[in-house]
Amino acid sequence: MTFERRRRSIFELISEYMRAIEEEIEEQLREFFVDHPSWNPRTCTLEPLCNVFITPDEVVITADLPYAEKDTIEVKPLNDNLFEIKAKLKRKICFEDLGITHQEGEFSTFYCQVRVPVAVEKEERKISFKNGILEVRLPRKKKYEIKIE
Amino acid sequence: MSLTNYVRVVERTSIPSSAVLLFGMPDVGLVGVIAASHMISELKLEEVAYIDTDLLPPMIVLHKGTPHMPLRIFGNKELLLAVSEVALPANAIHRIMRSLVEWGEQKNVNIVVSIGGIPTPNRQEINEPKVFAIASNPQLVQWLEGKIEWQGRKLDKPFEILREGYMVGPYALVLQYCMQRNIPAVGLLAQAFYNYPDPHAAAMVLKELSRVIAVEIDVSQLIEKGEEIRLKARDIMKRTERELSKMRKAQEYDIPLYV
Repeated sequence: MTFERRRRSIFELISEYMRAIEEEIEEQLREFFVDHPSWNPRTCTLEPLCNVFITPDEVVITADLPYAEKDTIEVKPLNDNLFEIKAKLKRKICFEDLGITHQEGEFSTFYCQVRVPVAVEKEERKISFKNGILEVRLPRKKKYEIKIE
Repeated sequence: MSLTNYVRVVERTSIPSSAVLLFGMPDVGLVGVIAASHMISELKLEEVAYIDTDLLPPMIVLHKGTPHMPLRIFGNKELLLAVSEVALPANAIHRIMRSLVEWGEQKNVNIVVSIGGIPTPNRQEINEPKVFAIASNPQLVQWLEGKIEWQGRKLDKPFEILREGYMVGPYALVLQYCMQRNIPAVGLLAQAFYNYPDPHAAAMVLKELSRVIAVEIDVSQLIEKGEEIRLKARDIMKRTERELSKMRKAQEYDIPLYV
């Protein structure tokens, strides 16, 4: 009886690892970002949809804030890479407004925390709000430079 | 019928022949779903069929206290509109879309029209989203460009054609299956947010749709209720985004190499 053992190439192994990592990340995302309610009647808050884009020079956080009162929007750094977004709604929204009659509660504020995966100059943030979309621009920290000989 | 992985279209009323078959599927900015939902209420479309499948999560949607399938077809004598109230799982999308196109072929539909969005990175800077058109054959492309007549109709104003690029997701498959079956198919895609519900893009698509299928749809309510729709659609948008990333939707940003 002979066994033929096919040696897998490094590319196959890398691709397998990448797939496993992707699956793990997806699972984590599902747990943290999807499979929990987007509302909290205890704190009267709704969780907005958010995005984080990373460019070579800056990190751009956006959030969709329908019904948000522009003057009440707050973007506060909680630490070096965690930001808190808060905005009051123009009017209180209750479950019935969303077509739900079997839950009770009303919401007055959008609230979320957004993690930024790279180092940023948190005090140099620029904030704008246009057509209901909040945009926060954060310059990336230039910690060191590699000199080209 | 196999006991697993089945997709069947269950008709509740008689289905008209030679109708227009529209698709409003969850995709970028939920443009198709928002537009479809508005069409259903504006044109008072009735549920004419539903899709029974074990490829969707085990769920029903409750409306006015009664259960409904999440993937349904609405219609009247001239229109059929397939719409999904749940994010379509990436691994089920081929079989579901193929079954829907095959059903349309059986019903001898006159044309298939997909309504949706195209992800646009600087969407918040755009006040009037543009609508691009795609088609399943060169003749239809020429018709959309206003160059020729098709079925005795010529467009007064040309559409901007999406000439080069990648399409990923349910509408890519609709176009593929229609092309393979020689069913005339058109797609209307508005510049839209990738993962924020975009009622404004949906309104723009509906305005342009009326030029393709000669049905007037008033979009004033849709624009007026924009904020309410964005608030309500957060959850389905979140789930749709997750499925889109599994489909590698971001490839739509890629520049193709023509070979």
